[in-house]
Amino acid sequence: MISFLHPLALMALAAGAIPALLHLRSRRLPPVVVFPAIRYLTATEREHSRRLKLRNLLLLLLRTLVIVFLVLAAARPILRLASGRSHPPSAIVLVVDNSLSSGAVVQGRQMLQLIGDAAREALSQTNSGDHIWVVLADGIPQRVTRTEAARILDNLVPLPIRLDLGRAVRIAARTVADEALDGKRVVVFSDLQRSALTRGEVIDVPLLIPRIGKLAVNRWIDSTFSDPPLWSPSGTVATAVGGTDDRTTTVRLSVAGRVLDRTVAGSGDQVVLTGQLDGLGWAVASVELDPDELRADDVRFTALFSAQPAAATALSGAGEFVSEALQVLQGGGRATSGTDVVLGDRPIQGTVVLFPPADPASLGAINRALADLGVKIQYGELLEGEWQVAGDLGTVTGSAVFRRHRIIGPGTAFAAVANEPWLVRDGEVVLVGSRMEPEWTELPVSAAFVPFLDQLINQVAAHQRWIVDAAPGDVVTAPPSASEILGSNGASPIPGDHRLVAPLVPGVYFLRDAAGDTVGALELNPDVRESMLEPADDRTLRTHLGQGTRITSRQDLSRLMFVDDKRADLTWLFLWAALLTAVAEFALANSGRSGRQRP
Amino acid sequence: MIQRPDLLDPYEVAQLGGIELVARAVVEGFLAGLHRSPFRGFSVEFAEHRPYQPGDELRYLDWKMLARSDRLFVKQYEEETNLRAMLVLDVSASMDWVGDSGRLSKLEYAKRLVAALSLIMLRQRDATGLIAYDDGVREVIRARARSRHWWTLMSKVNALTPGGGTAAEPALRKVTDLLRRRGLAILVSDLLFDRQLVLRTLQYLRHRGHQVMVFHIMDPGELDLEGPAEARFQDPETGVSMVARPRELRAAYGSTVRRTIETWRSACRGRGIDYHHVLTTTPFGYVLRRAAARRSRLG
Repeated sequence: MISFLHPLALMALAAGAIPALLHLRSRRLPPVVVFPAIRYLTATEREHSRRLKLRNLLLLLLRTLVIVFLVLAAARPILRLASGRSHPPSAIVLVVDNSLSSGAVVQGRQMLQLIGDAAREALSQTNSGDHIWVVLADGIPQRVTRTEAARILDNLVPLPIRLDLGRAVRIAARTVADEALDGKRVVVFSDLQRSALTRGEVIDVPLLIPRIGKLAVNRWIDSTFSDPPLWSPSGTVATAVGGTDDRTTTVRLSVAGRVLDRTVAGSGDQVVLTGQLDGLGWAVASVELDPDELRADDVRFTALFSAQPAAATALSGAGEFVSEALQVLQGGGRATSGTDVVLGDRPIQGTVVLFPPADPASLGAINRALADLGVKIQYGELLEGEWQVAGDLGTVTGSAVFRRHRIIGPGTAFAAVANEPWLVRDGEVVLVGSRMEPEWTELPVSAAFVPFLDQLINQVAAHQRWIVDAAPGDVVTAPPSASEILGSNGASPIPGDHRLVAPLVPGVYFLRDAAGDTVGALELNPDVRESMLEPADDRTLRTHLGQGTRITSRQDLSRLMFVDDKRADLTWLFLWAALLTAVAEFALANSGRSGRQRP
Repeated sequence: MIQRPDLLDPYEVAQLGGIELVARAVVEGFLAGLHRSPFRGFSVEFAEHRPYQPGDELRYLDWKMLARSDRLFVKQYEEETNLRAMLVLDVSASMDWVGDSGRLSKLEYAKRLVAALSLIMLRQRDATGLIAYDDGVREVIRARARSRHWWTLMSKVNALTPGGGTAAEPALRKVTDLLRRRGLAILVSDLLFDRQLVLRTLQYLRHRGHQVMVFHIMDPGELDLEGPAEARFQDPETGVSMVARPRELRAAYGSTVRRTIETWRSACRGRGIDYHHVLTTTPFGYVLRRAAARRSRLG
């Protein structure tokens, strides 16, 4: 079927009537020429009338055809074919998965090399008229030329980040959706992990997915958990081993190159590795497995902090639930008896965590006492309702609050309710907006209460350190007091909103405050979903990416790349036809002009 | 270098003066290039002497007179045995056409040709007459051999104006009435009429023992079809017209004209008629010389 790249040009086909119109116009009033030899002319016309009529008809036809052919050529006619190299200018997105899993070795070659080869072959099918984008594991479409695309493909390296393939494909589809070009397609070059697929909006751009290689058998460290979070100076690291095979592997806990503990585990096992740090302070530990086909997920980093638990006392005004939870913490070694941190409902000198008083009448005296201590934050009006706690204290996030006092004044907020500060520190005073009683909040009767109190005493009140767990490239929120992050290239400042993009190299990055003290650590480890090398079957692919998804073999990629758009550009054919027709017209028009002969 | 008027372009020669002057100049030039009389008669009985002039045949030179008086004289013969010639001139409207302003119209050319022919024949003491016709006989001048007769002829020729249609047969029939004995009929026309009809009449003249010459006068513009891309071509005699595109018909038209000329030529040859195709750009001398040469061959 013939289509046209510039169909508007076909309007010029009306010009095909020009020869006929000129012919009719010229017939209107020809000039009169007196000619005595009209006898000869009449005889000539009589003898040649049929030939002349045929010749004139042919000339008219040829002239009309010349115009028609030229107009058709200008409209850029395209004939779609079952085979051929040419295709109309298309918008093509190459989604190239260079996520962590692409570093796996398959049949002696890295999966990313196979992916790159396939992508280069697809790129070779494009032509200079195509608009090309490349989407890598970062999910950001880059508009590139063919040369730039080739350079990108030549320099691919596996990144220790996760590619959400469903999201990347949808971004790619949206990228080309508004392109004015005829052909639009997204081609995915990936190991097609099932865990990389997510559902989303319908993709209405043709999607071609070649299957590249087979996924390797893999083991990985699923998670590590430091218990207790505050080593003293010994502790354990609970480690979960993930995998798709039944073989066992060695699991080692190391600090600064020294193996603290080792054990043997199989896929799906959880093991506890014990260790003791040389002294108080921070340490970077790694848990490592024996190497397999995917090395990047065989090690996991964790930050260990060794310190003495805070000595805490609960005054009667803090409430019964607080007192009992503190006793649990002291029994478990997470706190000791003492007055480093005082929990109560009235301010005193030293580090204190205040809960609102049970008697609202004493609120004014408490605020005056806070002011006398130089504290800028105070309790405000009492509010009732139902809200949820939000903020950086993971243990209480989402817990319901029914009654609270507003907290007024500048301070560092650690948790909020209804976008208003709920847990705020100023200096050595920490104000909590609600009493720890069931009428005020569900926290005291929830499992999160003791960990919350642990955080409140050992981290918020005692100025102890934060540990943020994230994946490379994630956007993370640093602790309020952190002002810079230490990396291999030195310290980098943290933006004012405390949000920063985590580095791409896995490891432990320490956070420092303005005074140069280390206030926390950023643990960067790959997303474990990248380690799950279970392939997605065709049905799963179509379920997640659309039923129109064309899944093909690596060998058929080139053939199917533009199978719907294979075409022959007929422009030159029509130009040649116009030229030949013009030549024929010229020859026919001059066929009657022979050299003059004298009798 | 002195130019001979008989060899000049007819249009340029015509600028020299009237028909008579031109004809005389042409004839003088023409005769100067000949060694004998071009249109000699049939008579055998001596009538008188006349001074020799270049072009006269030496066999008619009176050698005795030359010996006696050392002067050149040519013998003339009795009038009744002289050739009687009738010039039949077509003065129809079609003759009054010229394809280019730098040329003589067919009629103007024909008038000068007739003048020259008549002068030559009268100088040979041949009786010469004239019939002019268009769609009827317009003028009839009986053949006379007196030298002053040429002026009579010229006065009539000068007065001839282009007429209407063309009907040559009545004029040619008139010739048979006027030429009782064997004579010479010279038709000067563009031959734009019914060929078969005229050929029958000419053949009749041949049957009566007359010699016949046909001068087919044609403007070069009639050989090729020229004009605007499309034009309505109109016959000046009948008003008949037709629309044609010269570019389309040019080759075929040229072929038709050449075929027509060849048809005339072969038809005349088959009937013993001298046929001369004459373009109005042909110097008169060439035409006269060619006609004279043909007559010499025919005897």
